[in-house]
Amino acid sequence: MNFRLQVIIAIIILVALGFIINMIRKKALELRYALAWLVVGIGVLILDIFPVLMTRLAAMLGIYSPMNMLFFLGFCFSLVIIFILTVAVSRMSIRIKDLTQELALHERENKETD
Amino acid sequence: MTMMKKLIIIPAYNESASIKATVEEIREKAKDFDYVVINDCSTDDTRKICEEMRYNIVNLPVNLGIGGAVQTGYKYGVRNGYNLAVQVDGDGQHDPVFLGKMAEYLLKTDADMVIGSRFIEKEGFQSSGARRAGIKYFTFLIRLLTGKTVTDPTSGLRMVNRDVMEMFAQDYPKDYPEPESVVAVLRRGKKVKEIPVVMRERNGGVSSISLKKSVYYMVKVSLAILIEKIRLRGGKL
Repeated sequence: MNFRLQVIIAIIILVALGFIINMIRKKALELRYALAWLVVGIGVLILDIFPVLMTRLAAMLGIYSPMNMLFFLGFCFSLVIIFILTVAVSRMSIRIKDLTQELALHERENKETD
Repeated sequence: MTMMKKLIIIPAYNESASIKATVEEIREKAKDFDYVVINDCSTDDTRKICEEMRYNIVNLPVNLGIGGAVQTGYKYGVRNGYNLAVQVDGDGQHDPVFLGKMAEYLLKTDADMVIGSRFIEKEGFQSSGARRAGIKYFTFLIRLLTGKTVTDPTSGLRMVNRDVMEMFAQDYPKDYPEPESVVAVLRRGKKVKEIPVVMRERNGGVSSISLKKSVYYMVKVSLAILIEKIRLRGGKL
């Protein structure tokens, strides 16, 4: 990885982090869901600045090239994010169900008192 | 017995063709029961018909599916102080003439849940061969896991006492809830009984289980039953 590529990657990550933080600031993104993205952004930034870490990590995990490791970690990260979203969707659907029932029962009670 | 408050829960999704007949029949044949129609955000005239007839109706603002609709009925029953509740489908499959007998049986045997089963005396509408095979499989699975025999675990005609009403008000499966909720009741050590009933073919509407969905149904309900069984070991609720 040459220096130019390192700089380009760093810029992309910084812009992305800035974008995410701005979204959180505007409350378009909840911090709890953005946290994983922030952590991964900072992680990639560290690996970008110190490429030797990537080589060592790959050797430690027994992966031949640092690039393969990057793909592998990216894939794992995507799965984790998707799983977190599935959990969030499940929880939301339960809450929406409860709210819907509450609303309907309240409407029924109000009609009674009229 | 006369002091008992008894509730009929009628989940209705697009039942404009049969809802009137269903409610009128209940008023005629099950006089000591109250009823509530849970309109699951129907897109047809179900709501209009019920309001014109001044039926007791709860309108869900969002479609929740059968589980969510029936659970709304249990919540209604718990909040309004009912002693027992029974689910009767809005499509005319269930004959309310059996409700009195079911209530009597529930009180007499001190059962927590009484299911109206088509398969004890094998009379009336028996459903297609494929469906019967599916139901037999659930009966087998439930016996394997709980040791109890339930001949008609998919029957929508089920009566429960206050305890089980409260349990269902808190937690009830979302879709295809019948077999799963029977297991939930059984594994809490509650008494489930069955009495023979005769079911009719539906008046209007379509079965919520089309052939296409039946694979999903089998897999989902099997898994749900298994998971319901494991929950006991964890000691959670």
